[in-house]
Amino acid sequence: MSESHEIELWVEKYRPKTLDEMIDQEEIVERLKRFVREKALPHLLFAGPPGTGKTTAALCLAHDLYGENWRANVLELNASDERGIQVIRERVKDYARTVALGEVPFKLVILDEADNMTSDAQQALRRMMEMYSRTARFCLIANYPSKIIEPIQSRCAIFRFQLLKKEDVFARLKYICEQESVKITEDGLEAIWEISGGDLRRAINTLQAAAALGGVVDEHAVYKVVGKVSPREIRELLKLALTGNFIKARSKLRELMAYYGLSGLDILKLIHREILSPKSELGLPEEAKVELIDLAGEINFRLVEGADEEIQLSAFLAKLALLGKKYL
Amino acid sequence: MSTEIWTEKYRPRRVNDVVGNREAKEKFLSWLKVWLAGKVPSKKAALLYGPPGCGKTTLVHAAAEEYNLEVIEMNASDVRTANALSRVIKTSIKERSLFGYKGKIVLLDEVDGINLREDIGALRAIESIISETIVPVVLTANNPWDPKLRSLRDKCLLIEFRPIPSYLELRVLRKICEREGIRASDDVLRAIIKRNKGDLRACINDLQAIAQGKKIITLEDLRLLGERSHQLSMFDIVRQVFLAKKCSEAKAVTLNPSFDYQMFMQYIHENLPYQYSMPEALAEAYDALSKADVIMGRIKKTQNWGLLPYALELMTAGVAIIKHKPRFRFVRYSFPEKLRILSKSKEYREKLDIVLEAIKKKCHLSKSKANIEILPYIMVIYEVNKEEGKKLLKWLGVSEKTFKEILDKRT
Repeated sequence: MSESHEIELWVEKYRPKTLDEMIDQEEIVERLKRFVREKALPHLLFAGPPGTGKTTAALCLAHDLYGENWRANVLELNASDERGIQVIRERVKDYARTVALGEVPFKLVILDEADNMTSDAQQALRRMMEMYSRTARFCLIANYPSKIIEPIQSRCAIFRFQLLKKEDVFARLKYICEQESVKITEDGLEAIWEISGGDLRRAINTLQAAAALGGVVDEHAVYKVVGKVSPREIRELLKLALTGNFIKARSKLRELMAYYGLSGLDILKLIHREILSPKSELGLPEEAKVELIDLAGEINFRLVEGADEEIQLSAFLAKLALLGKKYL
Repeated sequence: MSTEIWTEKYRPRRVNDVVGNREAKEKFLSWLKVWLAGKVPSKKAALLYGPPGCGKTTLVHAAAEEYNLEVIEMNASDVRTANALSRVIKTSIKERSLFGYKGKIVLLDEVDGINLREDIGALRAIESIISETIVPVVLTANNPWDPKLRSLRDKCLLIEFRPIPSYLELRVLRKICEREGIRASDDVLRAIIKRNKGDLRACINDLQAIAQGKKIITLEDLRLLGERSHQLSMFDIVRQVFLAKKCSEAKAVTLNPSFDYQMFMQYIHENLPYQYSMPEALAEAYDALSKADVIMGRIKKTQNWGLLPYALELMTAGVAIIKHKPRFRFVRYSFPEKLRILSKSKEYREKLDIVLEAIKKKCHLSKSKANIEILPYIMVIYEVNKEEGKKLLKWLGVSEKTFKEILDKRT
């Protein structure tokens, strides 16, 4: 590993700073560059799976538009963290009141994880987009464009980010390995691909963690690290529930919520990931997995609709015991 | 034979003589000893909770006697307006004891008995007593999970008391009989114990009621006693629901004007797996409870209270009337563990939040994503390569100490 550089997470260190540095999503990048040349921009909606460069593209766009001083002209918000639309409204209002510095006649509001907003909040957002359209452009970022209300979609140019191709991910990982003087084997690359799919963030994080082991990054190193990353507790929770040990499973669940700071949906997502993981040790036959996905989907719905996450997930754990009885 | 009330006459004078609840006793004493050592524990108040007659108040008095502390006491039967509280207690918490006591201890009995409407400001007054006090403050309650006690709960060390096991009660009753010169067979004593469900005070009262002035007591004497009408506790309500064979029987519990459905849901949630150990039954009952919760969520969002009856029926009848209903067994129910864990882990979650906030700033993502997508990798890197991990923490601006506290809890 390099000695001279400041140590930081590689996902940040190797995050492209300008649109020119972006190697993927060529068509989208081309369009964005044209906006920069013309210093004109519609409202934007970046949609696509995690780790495909949506936030990076927004930050690069900001950089190219405003130059090194871009931060002064950009308001970065995350819908998952801001407490309600009220807070967002206040911050945007304060920010959009003044005119942008420099040649670009508007400021940029980047609103990440916008699909986590309720539809009421989105309605309010829609009004904000109209109210401040003279002084600000909005760049909304979401995994699922279908969770964005239509009036907002119709006000935005929508860009769909695709999952990265295997060769692009490999190229990026190899580039980073060169820079960091890390040796990586072909089966190491394949293993990272298998775990992360086209999610470059997860791929790079996995690479860095595997490299921290100190040796060559091969299949073995990658899986060693992956086993540590996904909380063991999730696997234990699933095992306990599937073997009918409900009371212990529920204690695990409570631990995960209290000490891991995981929300009900977080836990459900991790369970989902664990079920479908190619390295799953649960020993479930394929048809059981399908049933489990069905159950997880139903509980996801109830989690969103309901009031008490622990009750909903406990109901899920109770159903898992039946599934375990049937298939294990 | 004296006319003294036996529960007073035989109230233990030393901590060692208080029967049952060993863990609770130890927890209480180690808290008290911090005070006695001239230090201030992190929680200045202790909340002793549990059903009536299991030794909460007794323990406090015994400890006070043993360590020579003056007890300043108020309970629910006192007029407990904010003024009354301040007058009696606030003046005494700030000054040390006279009359040769080594110190003071404040005892506020039955805080769950506080009537919000009549005792205006009483809870707030108690909270301010806790924050100002320089002497130990002890609260007792039957039901500490009452919503109105929420903020008070966070300021207290929670100590749970359970009903006294019958063999210990039997020992106490035998000893009293011996001292009073009464001949009573174990059958009679066991019958007394059985009708009082772990409430030792009630047992002693019953014994005195039938034995006063007699030398021999029999089962026949016991018949004279009326049933002690128990206030329905949450546990009784839960049991009533599990016992129900018809929808209407199960639903009946919701008709009680003091029925608190939010609390009830927590209790039934906690105790479902104890009552229904068969997976089929458990899954069916949980499904009903989950649907009740979905309706509660909709009510919260839409304020459509017309939906409430459906939720109430699902959480009672839906849980009681299931296809694979097992035969009723008597099981010991528990308080909702969830509330306890939440208050226990609060400090930890605040630290986690600091770390997630730092990651969020550096990595352009929400705290929830930082928790899932970034933090686990940093933990692995730290685990397998300390040097590298430390540098990352430096980059994030997170102290290694804070980080390790989180790591330790997770491994």
